[in-house]
This record gives sequence, C-alpha cells and structure tokens, in this order.
Amino acid sequence: MEDLVRELAVDKHARYIVSVEKRKDDFESVVMEHLRMSGAYWGLTTLDILGKLDMVDPDEVISWVMSCQHESGGFAGNIGHDPHILYTLSAVQVLALFNKLDVLDIDKVSNYVAGLQNEDGSFSGDMWGEIDTRFSYIALNCLSLLHRLDKINVEKAVKYIVSCKNVDGGFGCTPGAESHAGQIFCCIAALAITGSLHHVDKDLLGWWLCERQVKSGGLNGRPEKLPDVCYSWWVLSSLIMIDRVHWIDKKKLIKFILDCQDKENGGISDRPDDAVDVFHTYFGVAGLSLLEFPGLKPIDPAYALPVDVVNRIFFGR
Amino acid sequence: MTTQSSYSDQKGLNLLQELEYILDSDPLIDEVGFIHPSQFVALDHNGDDDLLQSEGGIESSRRLQANFSETGKLRFWCRDHKLGISTEVLFPLYNAAKHLFMDVIRQYKILRNVYGEKDNMESDVMKHSRALLLLSCDFGTAWNSRKMVLSKEQDLSRFMDELHFSALVLSYSPKSEQAWSQRRWVIRMLAERCPNLQDIVEKESDLVRKITERYKMNYRAWNHRGWLVSYMTISQVLNELNKSRHWASLHVADNSCFHYRRRLLLKIFSSKEGPSPVPNCTAILYQVWKEELDWDEMLIRRYMGREALWLHRRFLSLFWIKHIAIELHGVLSHLEDNTAQNNDLAYFLDNEFQLLENCSNIPDSDFEDGKAQAELSASHFSWLCKQCAKSLPTEIQEKLKTRDLKTLLHKMCPDKSFLWDDLGFDEPSANCIGPVDEN
Ligand SMILES: [Zn+2]
Repeated sequence: MEDLVRELAVDKHARYIVSVEKRKDDFESVVMEHLRMSGAYWGLTTLDILGKLDMVDPDEVISWVMSCQHESGGFAGNIGHDPHILYTLSAVQVLALFNKLDVLDIDKVSNYVAGLQNEDGSFSGDMWGEIDTRFSYIALNCLSLLHRLDKINVEKAVKYIVSCKNVDGGFGCTPGAESHAGQIFCCIAALAITGSLHHVDKDLLGWWLCERQVKSGGLNGRPEKLPDVCYSWWVLSSLIMIDRVHWIDKKKLIKFILDCQDKENGGISDRPDDAVDVFHTYFGVAGLSLLEFPGLKPIDPAYALPVDVVNRIFFGR
Repeated sequence: MTTQSSYSDQKGLNLLQELEYILDSDPLIDEVGFIHPSQFVALDHNGDDDLLQSEGGIESSRRLQANFSETGKLRFWCRDHKLGISTEVLFPLYNAAKHLFMDVIRQYKILRNVYGEKDNMESDVMKHSRALLLLSCDFGTAWNSRKMVLSKEQDLSRFMDELHFSALVLSYSPKSEQAWSQRRWVIRMLAERCPNLQDIVEKESDLVRKITERYKMNYRAWNHRGWLVSYMTISQVLNELNKSRHWASLHVADNSCFHYRRRLLLKIFSSKEGPSPVPNCTAILYQVWKEELDWDEMLIRRYMGREALWLHRRFLSLFWIKHIAIELHGVLSHLEDNTAQNNDLAYFLDNEFQLLENCSNIPDSDFEDGKAQAELSASHFSWLCKQCAKSLPTEIQEKLKTRDLKTLLHKMCPDKSFLWDDLGFDEPSANCIGPVDEN
C-alpha cells in the first residue's frame, strides 16, 4: 500500500493543473477557451481531491465564474459566450467546491435549467434545441444541488431517460442511439439522483460494463475501442452506482491509470505515453478516488463532486 | 509592448482578410486541413506532377492559389477546392477571427430587434463565424450566431449553403459535435417547409458514409445517420440495409455500423403497427432478420474474435426468440401450431449451440484470436440463455439446463469469475478463488 501511494505524483499533478490555467500563448490553449468553465471544474475538482484546493484564490475564481453568467440565468463557457446547460452545471459545481452557492440567484439559475425541459421530459442543451441524455443528467444534478427539483417534471424526465435504454442494457444519447459508457454514466447518475435505479437491469448493464475492461486493465467506452483513462470514471462510477464494481479487476485498473501519468511534468493522459491534458488528469484522479486510492478525498459517483461537498449541501455539514 | 501587440494584431487581420478572400472566391471548397510548413513542399511537388500530367494544366494553375507572406513563407494553399492552412499562422489568425467575430456578434445582438438595415452586419456575422469555425470547430457561440441569422432570413438556399459549410468543418474535424448538431438543426428547419426529405436523407447518409470511410468508429457520425432513420420510408430502410452491408463486412470491428443496422431492423419491426402499417411487413421482417443472422454467422466464422460481431448476434438472437419466433408465430402462415413454434425455437437454439461448439474448440487456442473467439462464444451463449430463459417454453428451458455452461465459462474467461458466480453460473466444483481486490 505504501508503495502504491508513492506511485501517484500528487504535487506534480497539482502544479500542472495550476500552470495550464495560466497558459494563453499558443493555439492549443486558446482554441479551448469556449469551454473554459468545464476546464475550471475539471481542474479545481482534481485539486480538491488531491487536497490542494488552497493553491488557487477563491475570490478570483468566483468573480470570473459570475462574469460568465448570462441575463437568462444560464452560464457560458467563458466571458461573452452564449449560455449552455453544460457550463451552467460546471459553474454551480465550481461554486459548490468553494462553498459559495449563496452568491447565486438560485431561482434565476434554476429557472433557466427548468426552462430547457421539453414536453416529452427530455432536456435541450440551450435555446437551439439539441436534445441529449447528457443534458437530462446535467439538469437533474444541477437542480438537485440547488434544491430546486420541484421546478421540473421529474417523472417525465425519468421516463425519457428510460426510453433511451437499449437491448444490451446500456443507454445512448437519444432513444435508439448506440450505448456509450459516457451516456450510460449520465443516465445512471440521473436515475440515482432521482431514486429511480429500479428501472435498470443491473445484471444486464453490469455485464456490458465489465466487458469494457481490456487485457491491459484499462477500460474502453464502447466495444472494440482502445482503453482510455476517462472511461475509468464513466464505467467505474456506473458500476459503483449499480453495485457491480466487483465484476472488474480493480488492481489492474489502478495500475493502468498510474501508467498514464507524466511523472516528470505532471498530468495524466488517455493512454500510456500520450500527451497529458486537464480532462484526463481529472478523470484519472477521480477514477483513483473511486477505487479508494489512499490519500485522496472520496468522490461521489453521481454528483461528480467530493463527498464532503455533497454532504455539506444535503446535510449541512 | 503596445507596438508589438498591435503589430501582431495587424498581422492577424491581414491573414484573416486573405483567408476570407480565398473562401469568397471559391465557394466550392469542400475540404480544409491544417498543414505544417514542411508539408507544403510535398504538396507543391505533387502539384507540379499534376500540372504536367493533366491536360488542363493552364486551367489548374490558374485555380491554384498559393499565398506567401512578406518573408516568402507559404500560409495558405488552395487547389481543386481543397484548402490548406499553415499551422504557423493558426494562432494570430484565430485571435483576429475571434476578436472580429465577438465584436460583430455583440453589436448584432443589441441591434437585431431594432428597426433598420442590418444586411452588412449579418454578412459580417456569417463571414467571421465561418473563419472562426474553420479554426475552432466547437465554438458554440459562432454556430449559434449563424442559426440566429439563418432563422431570420428563412431562405431555402441559405439553409442548403449551411449544410455545405458544416460538411466543410467536418472535413477537418469529423467528430465535431457542434457541426453535426448544426446539420440536424438545419434539417429540422427544412422539414418544417418541405415534408419530403427523401433527397436530403439520402445525401446525409452518403456524407456519413464518406466521413466514416476516412475516420473509423466515429460515434457522432453514426449517431447522425441513425437519427435519419426516423425520416426514412421502408423502402429507404431496406435500401440502407443493403448499402451498408458491404461496408460493415469490411469493418467488422466497427460496432457503430452494426448498431446502425440494428436501428434499421427495429424500424421495420415498428412499421408493422401504428396508424399506417406497411403491408407485408411481418414477412419482410422474418426474411430480413433471418438473412442478418446468417450473414452475421458467416462473418463470425470468417473473422475470429471480433466483439462487435458477437454483440450483434446477442441482439439478433434475443430479438428473434422473443419477438419473431414466439410473438409473431401464428401471424406467419407456415408456423401454425405450438409444435411448429417449439421446433423452430429448438432448431434455432441448436444452431446457436453448434456455433458455440465450433468456436470454443479451436485447436490452436494459444493463438490470440482463437482465444478471444472462444471467450466471446461462451459469453454469447450464456448471455442469451440468461436473457431469454423466462420467455422459453418449459421443455426447451429443461433442454438448455443440460448444457454445461458453468465449466466452459470458468475455463474460457476466468477473469470474470465473480460475474459468473453472481449470475448463477458458479463453478460446480468451485476451487477456492480468492477475492480480486482487498485494498
Ligand atoms: Zn478519453
């Protein structure tokens, strides 16, 4: 166990996250600026799990987050961009990390999210109408964190998610769409948040999910794909929520994630020896946290926030 | 510091002007790519050969636009409606496109509901968002601004242009979620005007085929094609099944293509009922399903150890048992009594078991594909037994119980022993297997 702890380059990963935030002088970094809000969520949650959130100045982050809010109540990925449900959840999650949800006009934000529900229970991502079960998850997670689930028709929202279930037990982005581990996570977490996991055939879905583990120990997101660190989160959290995580080899998965670290400069990549990025660093660290890796804060598999943050919101401690 | 940044601003603006000029002068550009300066040299060499070989050499050379900077470095390259952008200019170009776009969209949002001429502003929105999206394909605000202008104009030809433009973005970024989403938005707008979308559906399907040809296992692309199924007629569905069969047999690892076929098959299934049921649908369904099962079995035997083929089989066989052999029996004229039904089922399951026998007894099972084939076959048969057990008549259930799946599963896929144990496939004489993880 002691050996294992030393295998994770905690300080280097934290320094890497902080440095990425400051990089603005090349094409690769500016071309991601439209989703900076999600980047902030990935980076800051990683820091919190690593126990290093004090490396950033909360006031600076919060004032930037609030400057991304649109008059409609929704948040944009960056200042001056259009609002979207994706970035609205990220903004709420970032504020939750810092225990600053009280800076929000809760009703304004939740009205924006609730306004995106459609007649059939599904959710659009923004005013332009693209529908996806990811948006259902985001809406339910966000409104639950804000204690405003009563603003939507939860029953219909659940019904829509269930209509996206496939014969293999998995879920896709819309009814009939191919099962994909990312979408499965969204659907399972949404059902978990609303207490509706009884709609899931756990053995059937668990079977499909545990078949995502390939020989190297890593997990893929769909049949025949290469393993990828980000699926350590999506597949693993789903398996945990349906209580089937003992169907995969956890030791091999830990080793796979640790092999994807850049041990010199920090950061985690999708596969061993690839280039690192914040997205995969977050999913790698979050995956290790789900695997109860020593020294990391536990993370909640449905809300995708540290367990102490979730407890603070729901139990006031 | 100020002089330096205004210098680079000016440089970016010049680059942007150049790019927009190229795009305006050739509206038929259908492919764009970022090119490292060293690759330009190679392109030029190929270009020379082309010029020498083609009869219309002069015409081609007139169409060739190569744009050099003051220092003689190539920045853009355009020929035969293909555009290359040097990776060296991406950063200043992006900054210029973003700043101009953000400026004009801010003004447009303020003024768009105010009475007055806004044509220039609208054309600027379209122009700068176009340049920006060719550099950053998922810049959502830029896509939105285009929807804003297009929905105000409501011009059919402009909607068709937008389909062309998003295809151009997909040529360099085939997985761009926003570009695919933009197409769906345009098609929904068109569907409100012309209920007959057959042509568009055909063209979309063809575009996906072309894109997936170059970039495999593209979830977003195949999902787009699957989304089209709801707009298809039955004859189109049958046609799509035919058209994608050859492609699938050449890409047996691409689960998305097989999922697309599942969607088409389910569309036939759902067309036998509803307000306007398709005549003869049940017979078509029976025929098509049988062909698909045979075809899949042929591929399984030819390409060993391919997960996507076996997962396709799970779907096909479960559905066959539950909905065709059991539910539709009686509707089908040649299956009239229970014995016939049971015979059909028993025959089907015998065939599945035969396949399992053949695939799990590959002589040289040290060979990796052979091992994978054995694992997948054992897994398939037990999955099927588990899922359909309750739907089967008792005598067939009894017969299934005589098959010794437990030993097979533990032998073939020992790393999933917890799964087998939990699902009731526990090894009869279980030797003690320790827990996998006790951290
Ligand atoms: Zn990934």
